[in-house]
Amino acid sequence: MKRLRLLLGTEVPVACILAFALFPWLWMMLSSFRPDEDLTRSPVRIIPGALTLVHHIELLQRTSFLDNLRDSFVVATGAVMLGLLLALPAAYAFSRFRFPGRRALRVQFLVVNMFPVVLLVLPLFIVMRTLGLLDTYLALIMGHATFTLPFAIWLMTSYIDGIPGDLDEAAMIDGATRMQVLRMVILPLVVPGLVAVGIYLFIASWNEYLFALMLAGRNVRTVTVALQMFIGENEIHWGLLTAGGTVVALPATVLFLLVQRRLVGGLTGGAVKG
Amino acid sequence: MAQVSIRKVVKAYEGNVQAVKGIDLEIADEEFVVLVGPSGCGKSTTLRMVAGLEEITSGEIWIGGDVVNDVPPRDRDIAMVFQNYALYPHMSVFDNMAFGLKLRKFPKDEIKRRVDEAARILDIQALLERKPKALSGGQRQRVAMGRAIVRNPKVFLFDEPLSNLDAKLRVQMRTEIKKVHQTIPTTTVYVTHDQVEAMTLADRVVVMNHGVIEQVGPPQELYHNPATRFVAGFIGSPAMNFLPVRVLDDGGLKVELANGVKLAVPPQRVDRYGPYKGRQMTLGLRPEHLTEIRDTEKPNVVRIDCMVDVVEPMGMETLVHFFIDGEPVCARIDPVTHSAPNEVLPLAADLNNMHLIDNESGKVV
Repeated sequence: MKRLRLLLGTEVPVACILAFALFPWLWMMLSSFRPDEDLTRSPVRIIPGALTLVHHIELLQRTSFLDNLRDSFVVATGAVMLGLLLALPAAYAFSRFRFPGRRALRVQFLVVNMFPVVLLVLPLFIVMRTLGLLDTYLALIMGHATFTLPFAIWLMTSYIDGIPGDLDEAAMIDGATRMQVLRMVILPLVVPGLVAVGIYLFIASWNEYLFALMLAGRNVRTVTVALQMFIGENEIHWGLLTAGGTVVALPATVLFLLVQRRLVGGLTGGAVKG
Repeated sequence: MAQVSIRKVVKAYEGNVQAVKGIDLEIADEEFVVLVGPSGCGKSTTLRMVAGLEEITSGEIWIGGDVVNDVPPRDRDIAMVFQNYALYPHMSVFDNMAFGLKLRKFPKDEIKRRVDEAARILDIQALLERKPKALSGGQRQRVAMGRAIVRNPKVFLFDEPLSNLDAKLRVQMRTEIKKVHQTIPTTTVYVTHDQVEAMTLADRVVVMNHGVIEQVGPPQELYHNPATRFVAGFIGSPAMNFLPVRVLDDGGLKVELANGVKLAVPPQRVDRYGPYKGRQMTLGLRPEHLTEIRDTEKPNVVRIDCMVDVVEPMGMETLVHFFIDGEPVCARIDPVTHSAPNEVLPLAADLNNMHLIDNESGKVV
């Protein structure tokens, strides 16, 4: 009886949710290993007739996908570094100082996240064009840091809130300046938070499409833009598209698996501490 | 080596709430001063203003001949021990103690010499390589003190350093702190809410309440000659008994208890209490001045009979609780004296040690 209730009440629903969430991903992965004739067959065959690596090989040998991967990696790494560099001091200030407008600013950070990104990209496009930065790494790095920063600061603040303020005061009495406190006391203690926020920034930048298309796309072409190119006017390269998608999804998936526990900890960390 | 002066210092928060309402205090070089009072009395705020962690709304704080109002904590040459120790979790005990010296760019061998010396004084040589999380509460407290000692600062500040320790360790560390101060005499300001800590440690105790200083003095003076009802009730455990009385002249100056019993005022106090004739006052009498009847009676010791309510044997003494016209009263009697609830027990009140408190001003007259 107990066993049955567990099965119907928990295990079956969870399995359904998992299947629902994982199906597109699994289907994409499965498709990338199917030969071409299998991909266009009608009716659809669930179990592939044969498995092949031709799409992956073609993707890496005959397209510029490796360059796109490099561009994505440079942009994402840059966005992580810029984001952390800005988020840490900002979060420290939010956590430790009581300045006028502190609450309003924090709320505004959340509100910003509710605007469609399209609204942000237009002014950014104009700014980047004026600065002559269009189609450079820097444009994308700054663009990605812009829309991820509010959440990164929010997340980082809850990590720093978890470090008692007495430590800052003890260090200041010991002779440290605020910047020394931040570097010598706070920084070593928020490394887990930095890792979590860094991975969030990396994934957000890695998966981003709109900015990558608008602010760059020719010289600097990230994988998300490159994938789109496989969808032609007259035909869709299903094999290349799914193989590319599988490769692109890999780093984000692995990083997220590594950090998921910490990410949740950072989101709720500030909430439960009095 | 420095004296500390607090002059007309006010701390006001938003909405004009005054945590500290203009206090004056002169602390001599090498003196151990304890600020004591109930929570919210302004003692911690005062200490944090001396440390520079809290801005001063008005008034001046001097350390060693300089006004430090606008000097940041790192330049005040002070060291502070926090209630929760505030050890840097990612550093070893050695690095925790050396942190301040490293920031001040001391040479390596001098740092090592000083840390080793402090570790020897505090008996923590064996712990130098450990991280704070591998230490017990008492050990952490020692490290926090070590961090203060190595700097050889002008002033030590302690903010309720023993509150997180269990009762036994607290007594032990109390002695330890006193010993350290005897070894390294440095001007010390110590904040606590525990009047026993205040009494045992201090050269002078500062009793604070509602943001003002009620009384400053050596522990014995505060105990025997409290200036106000608040100090009389706060210092000493169990607390002083307070009984409403009327001062009257009935063939000599007397005070009349609410139950009609009249007690003769000792002759040496008659001039002092004479002006209050006819007034409603409060009689203050410590439990140890309310004892069993003893053979060798001093003058001015009068007999009061009580109906015992609760008996608390403490070992070296027994506390007897009873009521006089609804007011709870406590007496300290010899444990060999028989006492039991709901029995009448004759007690001796030593009026040589009585206090008379003006109900309006709260002052002891």
